[in-house]
Amino acid sequence: MGTILTNIAISDGKIKRSSLEVLSHCRKLADNNGHVVEAVVMDENASSFTEEIQKYGAKKIYTVENPAFKQPVNTVLLNALSAVIEKADPTVIAFASTESIKDILGALAMRFNAGVLSDVASFELIDGGIEGKRPIMAAKLLEKAQAKGDKVIVSVRSGSYDLEESPADAEIESIDFELDESSIRATITDILSSSGEGIDLSEAPVVVSGGRGVKDEEGKNMVEELAKLLGGAVGASRAVTESGLFPATAQIGQTGKVVSPQLYIAIGISGAIQHIAGMANSKVIVAINKDPDAPIFQYTTYGLVGDLYKILPVLIDEVKKIKG
Amino acid sequence: MNFKVCIKQVPDITAPIKIRDGELIMETDRMVLDAYSASAVEESLVLTEEHGGDVEVISIGPDKAKETIRKALAMGAKNATHIVIDDNAEYDSATFAKVLAAHFKNNAEYDVIALGKQSQDTDAGLTGSMLAELLDLPYATNAVALKMDPDNKKLIVTRQADTAQEVIELSIPCIVTCSNDMNNPRIPSLKGIMQSKRKTVEAVQLSDLGLDGSRLSSEAHISVVGYEDMPEREPGKKFEGEPEELAKKLVDLLDNEAKVL
Ligand SMILES: Cc1cc2nc3c(=O)[nH]c(=O)nc-3n(C[C@H](O)[C@H](O)[C@H](O)COP(=O)(O)OP(=O)(O)OC[C@H]3O[C@@H](n4cnc5c(N)ncnc54)[C@H](O)[C@@H]3O)c2cc1C
Ligand SMILES: Nc1ncnc2c1ncn2[C@@H]1O[C@H](COP(=O)(O)O)[C@@H](O)[C@H]1O
Repeated sequence: MGTILTNIAISDGKIKRSSLEVLSHCRKLADNNGHVVEAVVMDENASSFTEEIQKYGAKKIYTVENPAFKQPVNTVLLNALSAVIEKADPTVIAFASTESIKDILGALAMRFNAGVLSDVASFELIDGGIEGKRPIMAAKLLEKAQAKGDKVIVSVRSGSYDLEESPADAEIESIDFELDESSIRATITDILSSSGEGIDLSEAPVVVSGGRGVKDEEGKNMVEELAKLLGGAVGASRAVTESGLFPATAQIGQTGKVVSPQLYIAIGISGAIQHIAGMANSKVIVAINKDPDAPIFQYTTYGLVGDLYKILPVLIDEVKKIKG
Repeated sequence: MNFKVCIKQVPDITAPIKIRDGELIMETDRMVLDAYSASAVEESLVLTEEHGGDVEVISIGPDKAKETIRKALAMGAKNATHIVIDDNAEYDSATFAKVLAAHFKNNAEYDVIALGKQSQDTDAGLTGSMLAELLDLPYATNAVALKMDPDNKKLIVTRQADTAQEVIELSIPCIVTCSNDMNNPRIPSLKGIMQSKRKTVEAVQLSDLGLDGSRLSSEAHISVVGYEDMPEREPGKKFEGEPEELAKKLVDLLDNEAKVL
């Protein structure tokens, strides 16, 4: 019997859905293989999240509370997690693949001499470790890889698993974590947030994205209005984050974020593989593009061929009729 | 300020790829400089042009990785180290990080080690923070802008986080991994290409670093056991026509067929 430890990420005072997806999956793996699933939450107010975490079946929850988690540099997260791992001694450590986890995953694996698979679309337990499927080469194909060792680490793309409740009475253990200031040779001096602030793309149920076909503020305003009407977040292709029309944080794709909403609407985006890499796992994909041969149409559930500047105004009106 | 940039040679991922019996078949064997490594080279060149200092590139790869190293030299790097491995050696990020760490322990005259935030072929995104752990250096990943503060021995990194950008000051020496959103790497000029031919590429064997290739492979925790196509999407519907008609049809389908509104 081994322990699967899952990390619960907190963002803006809320549990990130993607980390509950990972916990849901790990709970099932544990049940099916006679393992125990545990969770760790590191936040200023870590203990306030234990009730919700228990719903997803964690048998034990480690809480680490420290004001430094409000705006932590990577070494702080790394050292705190290391303290928990030493205590819990898990065989598998699973994360949702957020930017702060990408930041420390390799270092953590080195510290514990653990095998690590980053950004998997799925994983299972095998003898001595895990087997995962990783989208590679801008998600052109899946690599099947095994990680083995006394400890293995995995990070999972958001949207890979469904949430599934399975309430448990969890034992709660609070871990003392002393911040060793001398070990930290990095300081966060500023946080630059762009407009569209606060909406976490990777968690949004609907994403409406603009590309190079969106030429100006007028077009961008329509993209934003449609997103707002649909209760979604605004995404973008690299062409328009690079030009500065859309905020850098909105970029979706190989370099940018991976999203898998219920509905993804690509507006004036050609469908380069590096963009597809970030959204191909969306449930329903819509594209509006004036070029009938644009590669994006190979991925769409519904494709509209036409000028976005003509279609968007009427589309917004139609959506208002339903969502008004 | 001296920059050491770790660059990787990768297959051209835009070329058609097929999977046969779980094996990868690339239509061409064209190899290129990893786009993320290229951005790390570019930014290091810009910063040394501004503040002085040299850029050296380091690449671990088989003999043919030389072409990629030449490209970085033609961009303007001063010299290069090529850590030569077998043609068919398949290393994971951890193994590359261990080899790089062994190299840097012998060659410690750097201020900044720059890498790509991920490799264009494996999209792993691990090597940078692994190397930082092995060398015990402060680091930042997914940088979209870099500035130097040489007086205070600091590298100032703007890093793309989930919902915002963070500005981080790292004390030097340090490690940074670069996004290709940072810059557009220069295309080598004819002069750059000519000059690169006179620059030295020092070839280093694993044994020179006190390492053993087969031992490294056997210590690796990761093995690739096959490849699969991405799951196919159901074929969709494509509509042409008047904007009003298209808009009505789409809303109807989203509402009543896909039920996502
Ligand atoms: C290493 C690497 C990483 C990358 N990472 C990313 C990434 O993360 N995300 C990303 O998006 N890209 C990424 N790229 C860039 C990618 O290759 C493409 O260049 C980019 O996605 C193109 O953006 P686009 O589709 O908006 O622009 P284009 O390819 O120029 O397409 C514009 C589209 O708009 C259509 N159009 C124009 N006007 C109208 C109109 N009036 N009405 C309707 N349609 C119109 C055109 O028909 C065209 O199809 C990366 C590239 C590299 C090399
Ligand atoms: N074989 C290699 N030689 C030199 N640098 C490498 C090598 N492999 C990876 N790197 C560096 O590490 C970065 C991230 O790689 P990865 O962690 O494999 O995604 C790359 O962009 C390179 O800068």
